[in-house]
Amino acid sequence: MASFSQLARQLGCSRPLLKPQPLIQSQISSRSITSAYSPKPEHAPFPTKIPEQFLSQIPDRFKPRIQKRMKIYPPPPSARAACKDPITTVKESQLAVLDPTGERGTLFDYRRNPRSVRVGDILRVVFKNGDPFSGVCLSIKLCGIDTSFLLRNELTRVGVEMMVKVYSPNVQSVEIVQRTQKRKRRARLYYMRKPKHDMRSVENVVSNYLRQQSALTGQRPSSGKKR
Amino acid sequence: MPPRLPKKLAQLPFSLGALAPQLITPTPVSIRTFGIRSLNPPKNSPYNAGPDLPVLKSTPAAALERKANTLPLRTGALAVKKGMTAIFDPESGKRIPCTVLQLDRVQVVAHKTIAVHGYNAVQIGAGWKHPTNVRKSLLGHFSGQGVSAKRHVFEFRVKDESGLLPVGELVHADWFQEGQFVDARSNTKGKGFAGVMKRHGFHGQDRSHGVSLTHRSLGSAGPSQGGGSRVYPGKKMAGNMGNEQNTVQNLKVLKVDRENGLVLVHGAVSGPKGCIIRIQDAIKKPWPTIVEPTEATQATEASA
Repeated sequence: MASFSQLARQLGCSRPLLKPQPLIQSQISSRSITSAYSPKPEHAPFPTKIPEQFLSQIPDRFKPRIQKRMKIYPPPPSARAACKDPITTVKESQLAVLDPTGERGTLFDYRRNPRSVRVGDILRVVFKNGDPFSGVCLSIKLCGIDTSFLLRNELTRVGVEMMVKVYSPNVQSVEIVQRTQKRKRRARLYYMRKPKHDMRSVENVVSNYLRQQSALTGQRPSSGKKR
Repeated sequence: MPPRLPKKLAQLPFSLGALAPQLITPTPVSIRTFGIRSLNPPKNSPYNAGPDLPVLKSTPAAALERKANTLPLRTGALAVKKGMTAIFDPESGKRIPCTVLQLDRVQVVAHKTIAVHGYNAVQIGAGWKHPTNVRKSLLGHFSGQGVSAKRHVFEFRVKDESGLLPVGELVHADWFQEGQFVDARSNTKGKGFAGVMKRHGFHGQDRSHGVSLTHRSLGSAGPSQGGGSRVYPGKKMAGNMGNEQNTVQNLKVLKVDRENGLVLVHGAVSGPKGCIIRIQDAIKKPWPTIVEPTEATQATEASA
């Protein structure tokens, strides 16, 4: 058996010879050099109206498009539009409590109020706990709720400075003891810290002022006038 | 050429052998009916089976258990940093520096649940973006949940399902109570590409004594042959500084304004003005007691 199969495999190469040969000769004789013109087949449009039961069989790109309209929801009312400038809102709500009359603000608003405190004035501050502090005003910082002024004095022959917040509830009163003689040409009088320009102690001026005040009102000079 | 079996016949014995044991011993792993199938399906180990075995530390269940005490009970909110100012305490007269945060159209967009995602979280959106400027896939996400397109979307993890606020619910400023503590999470101000002196506080090198052109450089980046002749991982070098997430913990809520969406927190919060801040109940303080306010607001919303 094995010898027969081997033999058959070797003879297998002659199998094509056994097949009936096509008529090559006649084909060659019928062909010519020029080819016959055939028009380009026209593109048949894909049928638009297809029954529904066939829709699942056709490719996705040929399926009729069903426009799904996405529902877009409107935004809820905006807090940002209600309050464009929150810092100012917070400041104003604070000022309504701390400075309802606007008196403190105008006293230090040197840009708008001509009768305001100016740098170089001698001021006297009385705090809620009764402590007074007086000194020459070196600078005024207009900064919203953090508006403050700097006072300089000399206590026990040592220069002392105190930054006071205008709107602080701890400040009971601020009064102008003495206006500056000449308008200062600087906004910040930091040069007054130098020994050449230092005003030294203002206690004499303040005590004079308090004496006059007490003579006018007939009271003891314990608490200052509230501004 | 040796004789070959047809394809169907050739695969039959192997497929039978692979399927037979699976049919006999049912495995807990569901057998897929499609795709590439593993030749070695996972087996149940006889050494790791029993009713009283401890939960392994590296499993998601153990991770959730570890996090349970530090995950807030309720969601947080997205806010925009508007700047800093100060308020005066009426009793003591003390000035308290504060940061003004504004909540603008903060709304629950979606949920993440343990069953589906492996953890519980509330997806919160804030602000508004014009729908034409939102990609269609994202717009579909918003529309599917019935909310408008949001400019900012973040997730807040919560402990369990009870903290999942319903989708579409608005989170107003009075979600936080005055006096409670919050954690504020945001990106710090970007400083760009910074040298080592600015970025890591290196001292730099001498102004003189022979130093030339390397007054602000880092010096050596590591040991030579004895240390492996390489730069160790984590070496502090020049690079981008800032614009990385930072959490400021335990900020006290000083004031809350529902109409204007304002929340005033004590002290500073990372980031420039206009940046987005994520605020949530402080994890290092006792959880705030949530009582009537939410019910009252719900009642007003229902009536309105």
